Amino acid sequence: MKNLFYQKGAKYSGLLMIRLEGLTRRFNGRTAVDGLTFGVREGEIFGLLGPNGAGKTTTVRMLCCLIRPSEGRAFVGGYEVGREAMKIREIVGLLPESPGLYGELSAYRNLDFYARLYGVPKQRREENIERFLKMMDLWDRRNDPVGSFSKGMQQKIAIARSMVHDPKVLFLDEPTAALAPDSAKVVRDFILELKHEKRTIFICTHNLYEAERICDRVAIINTKLITLGSPSQLQREFGSGKTEVQIKNLGSRILHAVKKVKGVLKVEVSGNKLLIQSKDPETVNPRVVEAIVKNGGKILYVTRGAHGLEEAYLKLVGKNEV
Amino acid sequence: MRFDRIWEIAKKDMASVRRHRYVLYGLVVMPLIFAIVVPMITILPFLSAEVAGDNLPPFAPPGFSVKQATILAMVSLLSLIFMFIPAFVPSVIASYTFVGEKINKQLEPLLATPTTDSELLLGKALGAFLPAVGVTFASFTGMVILVDLLTFPIFGYPVLPDLLSLVILFVYCPLIAILSVSVSVFISSKVNDVRAATQLSGVSVLPVLGFYFLFLGGLLKLDWVELALFAVLLVLIDAGLFYLSKMTFQREEILTKWK
Repeated sequence: MKNLFYQKGAKYSGLLMIRLEGLTRRFNGRTAVDGLTFGVREGEIFGLLGPNGAGKTTTVRMLCCLIRPSEGRAFVGGYEVGREAMKIREIVGLLPESPGLYGELSAYRNLDFYARLYGVPKQRREENIERFLKMMDLWDRRNDPVGSFSKGMQQKIAIARSMVHDPKVLFLDEPTAALAPDSAKVVRDFILELKHEKRTIFICTHNLYEAERICDRVAIINTKLITLGSPSQLQREFGSGKTEVQIKNLGSRILHAVKKVKGVLKVEVSGNKLLIQSKDPETVNPRVVEAIVKNGGKILYVTRGAHGLEEAYLKLVGKNEV
Repeated sequence: MRFDRIWEIAKKDMASVRRHRYVLYGLVVMPLIFAIVVPMITILPFLSAEVAGDNLPPFAPPGFSVKQATILAMVSLLSLIFMFIPAFVPSVIASYTFVGEKINKQLEPLLATPTTDSELLLGKALGAFLPAVGVTFASFTGMVILVDLLTFPIFGYPVLPDLLSLVILFVYCPLIAILSVSVSVFISSKVNDVRAATQLSGVSVLPVLGFYFLFLGGLLKLDWVELALFAVLLVLIDAGLFYLSKMTFQREEILTKWK
């Protein structure tokens, strides 16, 4: 593995598994991806967010060496996109938007075919297929044609397929789209387990709730990079900072006390809930809790007032419509 | 070029085809008709009836009785007809494995594997070529047995296989199958319907039709020189079409330009 360290003085330090430098792609004069520059660390779960047509899939296709960049450079695992395509394909796994399985073949045969194309030796091939099918709860159905599977089961097979050669980097395009909540949870748990194995996971998603829960960092793009940071950082910077507090015995005394807390900008009441807006929730919330308790309030729950990342996303994408 | 990867892709395509009823019918029905029905219709009428000498086709061989010459002319026609199988069958398979996989979005994960464009193309081409040549050989064997059984009482020896039929089977049929696969790859990049692709791939029969009608009209004698010339012509067409299909079957093209 080479070139894993980003150059000195750059924005990111440490072991970078993916590095984009002004990555651009144009189709017939239309710019689909415009000068993306960022890095993804080894073992990181990185989310690429953006509206339809923002260039997420095009970015992934470039990083997987399926299409060439029009301008700029990118490195995956230290290998340069375009120049060392074969090396990159060997170390990455891709889950495209559609599972693209061979419906007439069995689940086992689908995985076996791909493992052979990746040159996985027989013993490891058999171990990996068994391991991933078991992780996806589909080992018992291994000999059934995947055409007879539900959408969710097919998606799980496609995820197993992307992992069958033990890639260092995994690109997942909408991994939980069209999945029932229980299947989505299986997939999310699977992704988190892969993180523990130090694999780098690059997820394109519209599911902000999911990105907030599993991604270490996210980039929001709309052909251009709008912002990049951890979900909590983006919530702090771009969210409304609303916190919801549910109180068993909400009364006017508690309400007045909360309004007087330093840093509280606005308080709304809905039933036995307070929706508190502040600029810096992480500093203000402990004070709010203290004030409620001091005034005899019995707190049932303290939660974020809205999906913080969703708020930040809508704000940022709305501002940057192309 | 890694043959193991090419073979994996071909094997997978052949396994898929075996499980696809529509493609399987195409693979079985036409060769069966050519092995049994066509010889019966072509040869049987001349076995019992008297054949008038002034009705001899221009391509009938000299040195035989009128009846024998007519039957041998029909046998030559039968051999020529076999060139339609490798022109048609690979297009049925290739249309399914290229257009079908494009429609079902099965190409993208395949393109993400560490295989070269050439390995992918050759694997898929081989997956269409081998069954086509296989059924042609099987059908031809059936036809040879049937024709020899029917004509043995007239000639006292098996009339097939002869030089023409062997050249057709071992030289022309593989070359025509390659032509058909190449045409199918090119057409697959332009259409989004398996049946439309199969129908458009019908242009693969044009060289066969040309050859057939030239022979029928007596313009080809099918001596060594003419047989060799047609083989060279097919090699040249194959080379051109395969280059075209190689240009068409590239990751970038498939993902950005294929309809």
